[in-house]
Amino acid sequence: MTDIHVSSPPTVGGGRHLLEVKDLFVEFHTRDGVARVINGVSYHLDPGETLAVLGESGSGKSVTAQAIMGILDMPPAKIPSGQILYKGENLLAMPEEKRRQVRGKEISMIFQDALSALNPVFPVGWQISETLRTRAGMSKKDALNRAVELMDLVKIPAARARIRDYPHQFSGGMRQRVMIAMALAMDPKVLIADEPTTALDVTVQAQIMDLLGDLRRDLNMGLILITHDLGVVADVADRIAVMYAGRIVEHADVRNVYKHPAHPYTEGLLDSIPRLDSKGTELATIKGLPPNLMRPPTGCAFHPRCKYAKAVCTTETPLSLDLGHGRTSACHFAKEMLDGTLR
Amino acid sequence: MFRYLVRRFLQMIMVFFATTFIVYALMYWTGGDPIQALAGEKPVNDVLRAQLTKEYGLDQPFLVRYWNYITDLLHGDLGNTLVGRPIKDVLADAWPITIQLAVIAIVVTILFGVTAGVIAGIRRGSIFDNTTLVLTLIVIGIPSVVLAPLAQYLFTIQWKIFPTTAGGDASLWDLLLPGIVLGSLSVATAMRLTRASVSENLRADFVRTARSKGMPGRRVIGIHVLRNSLIPIVTFLGVELGSLMAGAIVTEGVFNIPGVGYQLSKALTTEDTPLIIGIVSVLVVIFLVANLIVDLLYAVLDPRIRYE
Ligand SMILES: Nc1ncnc2c1ncn2[C@@H]1O[C@H](COP(=O)(O)OP(=O)(O)OP(=O)(O)O)[C@@H](O)[C@H]1O
Ligand code: SF4
Ligand SMILES: [Mg+2]
Repeated sequence: MTDIHVSSPPTVGGGRHLLEVKDLFVEFHTRDGVARVINGVSYHLDPGETLAVLGESGSGKSVTAQAIMGILDMPPAKIPSGQILYKGENLLAMPEEKRRQVRGKEISMIFQDALSALNPVFPVGWQISETLRTRAGMSKKDALNRAVELMDLVKIPAARARIRDYPHQFSGGMRQRVMIAMALAMDPKVLIADEPTTALDVTVQAQIMDLLGDLRRDLNMGLILITHDLGVVADVADRIAVMYAGRIVEHADVRNVYKHPAHPYTEGLLDSIPRLDSKGTELATIKGLPPNLMRPPTGCAFHPRCKYAKAVCTTETPLSLDLGHGRTSACHFAKEMLDGTLR
Repeated sequence: MFRYLVRRFLQMIMVFFATTFIVYALMYWTGGDPIQALAGEKPVNDVLRAQLTKEYGLDQPFLVRYWNYITDLLHGDLGNTLVGRPIKDVLADAWPITIQLAVIAIVVTILFGVTAGVIAGIRRGSIFDNTTLVLTLIVIGIPSVVLAPLAQYLFTIQWKIFPTTAGGDASLWDLLLPGIVLGSLSVATAMRLTRASVSENLRADFVRTARSKGMPGRRVIGIHVLRNSLIPIVTFLGVELGSLMAGAIVTEGVFNIPGVGYQLSKALTTEDTPLIIGIVSVLVVIFLVANLIVDLLYAVLDPRIRYE
């Protein structure tokens, strides 16, 4: 960790990544003005790897994912600059028809609330097999048989008997499994899970997390796991990208983050994880509210809430600093954070 | 599902008795002297009056008369009009015409209202959307007592496109203009409802899911959105049958079409109480059956109801 320089996203093994988001900007043009929601996000993903994307509500985790999927409504959304490379090809420059072929087949996505994300009027078997029928040219019968296999794969009991059931007839956990089965139908190489367990009971959360981890390993998929719960990612993620106000403020291996956060915001998130050994003691939470993206603070967007903020933080926007080992932090005092000398 | 059906059926029977009872009671207490009405302008002497009173069972208490009426009705006997024609025959002549009229109106509603609503819902804020919004507001604003004569004047007298009145044995062509006029009121409502339903469903989470599955836009709208939007539309069309019947009274009157609405307004002016009760009872039955069918369709279209 000697020389610190402005980084492009860290590359592992020098080659090209399966998926690479490069300096992405997204803004929403609304009646009240322009909200700059994503301000230069870069991250990447390799096969078989899990990237956890963390951050408070409104930090831009979902918008980034929707930009990757190409399901942002434009307008109001606009992508003034940036690239999203899948196997080296820029998705943002593709014609819509070609882009559509990527969705579901190469990159799939599952959502937070499976009840509203599934269509209420079609049986689950129909929904899981829809892509197989309409895009893979399978017969109705073959597609349904494959749907049963997929439901077995995500461990839905008595899959064949439930193929004609409707989403509302399933429990929350089973419904999320249906969602996962549907996303896996076309053997995607990348699965984006946008807070897949937030709507579920704690015990069910763990089961779904385990399932996603297993599927990722068995199918050698790249998994982007979006969550605002640092607690759940420790076991499943390889790397973590922490987002704040539309930027990646810290990007590192999971173990490094837990041991030595390199950004004050990450530290704040870590302090707010409920721990088994500290039951009863009050949780530290990050004081203040996320910034208004129509009028973001000058300098470091986190400075109004940062307990380490200095004069420079209010005027200079910190760049992403490469701290070595694929680690970056967007704080003027990242090095001091790591050394433990920042007061 | 079975319990749902049974419950709906029991409700339907209760509503049938309640409405026929109310109609019968209203006619019983407010309808003038039936014997005088029967005789017309001529004075009625006491002997004849006593004889007629006995013959029509007018000396019976109210509840007995209602009961007799209902049992006759359930046996398919609607009684006679004041001038002695079986009400069954009157209705047998009038119904086919009104049904044709209603079918034209419903087809017009679906063809124009639902189609325009789908387009407006997809292209919210477009020129098409705004134009149809203004047009529907105008149509909704005009009551049928104004719209029907206006359309009749413009299309039959001014431009001579359609025949002025339909008359006795009306052909489908004769009924076209009245049918369109009758439907135009529902067209506006159907269009607003469809537009709202489509644009709401377009924003639903399952649309985002369908898009992220790589479904082409026409399939997302044509299958995922429309199938959901159909639920309120079908309900509306079923309920709208009721307003069509009400609208038919005016439209049939204006275009001189001898349908049920025409017979009813005639019965009202001649104070033909048995005919009024007969027509209203049948209308009630039809309305109830239509509602039952709508409920069944609703259950077919929305699995969340079916399995409740
Ligand atoms: N259609 C839209 N129009 C205007 N602003 C939007 C729209 N969609 C998202 N935003 C804004 O973009 C910002 C980022 O939203 P995003 O959904 O990505 O947050 P998130 O990190 O996923 O939060 P959460 O944890 O609540 O899901 C928010 O401030 C949100 O208000
Ligand atoms: S740059 Fe300043 S305000 Fe921003 S996180 Fe670092 S110390 Fe805090
Ligand atoms: Mg989100």
